[in-house]
Amino acid sequence: MAAVAETSTMPVDPRRSGNSDPARTARRGMPLLPALVLLLIFMAGPVIYSIYLAFTNKAVRGEGADSTSMVGFANFTEAFSQPDFWNAMWLTLVFTVVSGVIGQNVLGMALALLLRKCAAWVSWITGTVVIGAWIIPEVVAGYLWYTFLSGDGSLNKVFGWFGLGPQDWLISAPIVAVSFANIWRGTAFSMLTYSAALSQLDPEVEESAAIDGAGPMRRFWSITVPLIRRSIMTNLLLTTLQTLSVFGLIFVMTGGGPGTESQTLPLYMYEQAFSFGQLGYGTAVALLLLLVGGVAALAYLKVLPKEDL
Amino acid sequence: MSTEAPALPRTAKRPRSREAAVKTGSSGILLIVAFLFCIPLVWVILASFDKNASLAVSWPGSPTFDNYRGVLNEKTTYRPIWNSLLLCGGGTIITVVCAALAAYPLSRYRSRGTRPFLMTIIFASGLPITAIMIPVYAMFVQVNLIDSMPAAAAFLAASSLPYAIFLMKNFMDGVPHELEESAWTEGAGMVRTLWSIVLPLMRPGTAVVTMLTFVGMWGNFFVPFMLLLSPDKLPAAVSLFTFSSQYGQVQYGQLAAFSILYSLPVALLYLLLGRRLRDGFVAAGGVKG
Amino acid sequence: MPDPQPGVSRRTALWFTAGSVIALPLGLAGCGSDSSDAVKLTYKQFGSGTIMGDFLRGVVNEYSASGSGSAVDLIPLVASENDYYTKTELMMSSGRTSPDLVYEDTFILRSDVAAGYLRPIDDYLATWPDWKLYYPTTQDAVKYTDGKHYGVPLSTDTRAIWFNRKLLAKAGLPETWQPKTWDDILTAARAIKQKLPGVIPINIWSSKAMGEATSMQGFEMLLYGTDSTLYDESRGKWVTGSKGFVDALQFMRTVSAEKLGLQLSDALDPNMGDRLYNVLWPNEKIAMAVDGSWIPGAWIGGSWPDWSKSMSVAKMPTQHGAAPGLVTMSGGFCWAIPKHAQHPDKAFDFVRTMCNRKNNTDYCIKDSQIAVRSDTAAEPTYQKSTPTTKFMTDLVKSTTYRPALAPYPQISNAIQIACEAMLIGSKTPAAAAATYDSMLIDIVGRDQTMKAGA
Repeated sequence: MAAVAETSTMPVDPRRSGNSDPARTARRGMPLLPALVLLLIFMAGPVIYSIYLAFTNKAVRGEGADSTSMVGFANFTEAFSQPDFWNAMWLTLVFTVVSGVIGQNVLGMALALLLRKCAAWVSWITGTVVIGAWIIPEVVAGYLWYTFLSGDGSLNKVFGWFGLGPQDWLISAPIVAVSFANIWRGTAFSMLTYSAALSQLDPEVEESAAIDGAGPMRRFWSITVPLIRRSIMTNLLLTTLQTLSVFGLIFVMTGGGPGTESQTLPLYMYEQAFSFGQLGYGTAVALLLLLVGGVAALAYLKVLPKEDL
Repeated sequence: MSTEAPALPRTAKRPRSREAAVKTGSSGILLIVAFLFCIPLVWVILASFDKNASLAVSWPGSPTFDNYRGVLNEKTTYRPIWNSLLLCGGGTIITVVCAALAAYPLSRYRSRGTRPFLMTIIFASGLPITAIMIPVYAMFVQVNLIDSMPAAAAFLAASSLPYAIFLMKNFMDGVPHELEESAWTEGAGMVRTLWSIVLPLMRPGTAVVTMLTFVGMWGNFFVPFMLLLSPDKLPAAVSLFTFSSQYGQVQYGQLAAFSILYSLPVALLYLLLGRRLRDGFVAAGGVKG
Repeated sequence: MPDPQPGVSRRTALWFTAGSVIALPLGLAGCGSDSSDAVKLTYKQFGSGTIMGDFLRGVVNEYSASGSGSAVDLIPLVASENDYYTKTELMMSSGRTSPDLVYEDTFILRSDVAAGYLRPIDDYLATWPDWKLYYPTTQDAVKYTDGKHYGVPLSTDTRAIWFNRKLLAKAGLPETWQPKTWDDILTAARAIKQKLPGVIPINIWSSKAMGEATSMQGFEMLLYGTDSTLYDESRGKWVTGSKGFVDALQFMRTVSAEKLGLQLSDALDPNMGDRLYNVLWPNEKIAMAVDGSWIPGAWIGGSWPDWSKSMSVAKMPTQHGAAPGLVTMSGGFCWAIPKHAQHPDKAFDFVRTMCNRKNNTDYCIKDSQIAVRSDTAAEPTYQKSTPTTKFMTDLVKSTTYRPALAPYPQISNAIQIACEAMLIGSKTPAAAAATYDSMLIDIVGRDQTMKAGA
């Protein structure tokens, strides 16, 4: 891959030597300035304020709004004692693993592999449709899937043609329903990533393996996967982080219901902070969500060699 | 000769026919997948031409453009979409410019701070924006920026910066250094090198970042809703909520028509950048670590 | 290889500094809205609905034309319920963004008073003769525990049993049906189920997806017909372990278990409201429902102009027919003045015009709302605006408002969870009530609760 060659040329670059000159470091860091200023003001500020809020009993309405006081870790212990929180945590993990880690990645990889072998016009059509699903605004995608899965929706029409009984997945298996919607919406990114990674592979390696008599599955697992391992890990990391914070899609499709059967952490947090006005508690939940993302990120980065970042 | 001649083409033909079979098979499977991906879109298209659309999928009794006529006016569509273009277009420009600038030193120099910075950036890209909206609102009130479109665009830009910087840095890693070195010897500054040498070589990568950033902003309802007040400044994402009325009825036909109109700008951008989009991923060898 | 010359570098530095300044459009912004003397008024615009906006623009014109009035800026907020509350609360929390007049749900009013967002308006009310014309029940809805008033009610709503008298007649029930007890309702529903297959006998909202409709039109309409209550006003404590709570849940369980209501998947559907009002009712596929006074608003000039040829309304009875023999619940919006308002005097001045007899009548008719003033209620144009208006208005005198204290939204959520368990049948009424009790204690703290009958 190009990337491997890239890192190896780095040390040759003469401008890389002499890190000790602070003036030069500052000058080199200059282009970072606009981004840093924006990030510090608009992201770091609110995040730090959020961390403070998570340790208070701040509320937007009711008595708590008038007088805010520090409550230590009370919001966190409160969360850990709530079955609803654990329910939301569990659903978040299910949703992320099913729709992000497995669904989008497997389907994306399968599409990428097939796209190499198919006719050009088919590749164009499939690419356009899958990417089309990706660029549709989230709220619109939510409506589409709601109508697709609801009682009189297209899915039941299709089931009807095959003589199958109607389903109501939005009610009976809401987390599965929203996971499918998220696979539909997010597969394009994995497909593009994997297509690109595969296109960089040297066809001769695969061909020689084929001549040695390796079957397609073996070739895939023992040659293709190791070669594009880094693309896979990075893509897994990015899809995991994106899926963890999905809000609009689920909010439009099920609103977290029925009951709390599809209430993932972002929806739980929204309910606590906005419906109940419990800002301190809601922010604490948000931080815990962030922590889950952090753990996932660390896990992936652990697998990636240091020089890859 | 006569015995061998037919044998040769046969051995050459066999893999070719297998290849053809694989090609047909793959194409068939992909077409089925493409078809399945299209089914959820059926409702929005049918309903947009149906005056009495409901949530059920049904063939419009008498297809009509009434829904489109109903929403194609200044208040419902033109102004919100224009606002969206200003807000998301402005935000995207800020993001892409800042990300390109930031990515350059990250890609070209290594210092002790690079890896922690990149880790923070990756981490921040997973930040649920809903979670920090109330602190952001409080901050905007303090500095009197509520209801300011440029400030809202700047916030949108900041919130999509982490992801953009990360991707941009990856794409930039794929651009060879040799050309820059000659530019440096000629005394060109960093900005000029970036602008006239690096960026032209990574147009596809820039297209990917632009597309991702714009699409992300275009669908964002919560940020503009919290930070803007005046009805004439609100973007299209917020107008989506105007199709349900007080009594719980939703004008589904108009909602569908508006959804289509609302998705058009991103679709156009995709058509414009579509080929680059795939090239961009290829150029980076996929998104690598 | 030499580094760039110092001159270039300085230029680069300048360039970046300028760039960062441009990237940050602070100050360039058209900050806030104009600082003029205009009265700023925020209201919730229900989706594409223009009734409120049209009404307010009319009043503004009248007010400005009267000479005394200054300009009025209207700020509509289009959003879902929760987002509207949160947004207005954030706006009110600072002098810079605070409106002068805010459209408040009476359901959230007391929470906002407790949070210190609003100011008492008793001094203004004392100088306004019209205030005496408001029904005492509606005056209490805007009163805080300190005995002061914080808002002027705009309109209200009431709840009762809507029924399709043609369908009831087919099932052998009188067209002027009026149940005396809960059992009468169930008996009628069973008769309809038996005689009219394909017709849904009754709807009583019981799902979490329907949110406050489940708590209010569903559960509380039942609970307040028993001896029990949610909140003991005199002691200021929330009630646990009441028999009425279990009985109300049992009623819902019976409806669901005997399949007298919507089928389960429909009952759980968050968008069922639309189908119920615009498909099931107009197609005469449902016979009865406990619902609000506003529902003809969806039919008039819409999906069912001829609704009054089929529809009637009956009072919701108490559990065993005990006095006063009926139950109704009210909500509704009011106009409140934030603590940080810049122009409170002008704001109230505007209220005098907006809420006068003529304008209030006008608004109630246009928006299918129930009057809060006795003189408006007596207006013939109002009374005749729909065939059910007078009936629903007469209920106001005996209405109950929710215990709209700060934790109410969370408690309401706990109620909805209990109701949904009845719908699905996942718990017995007693078990669901016990779960509610523990959630309640969790929300308000044990010292804020009391055992029923204690």
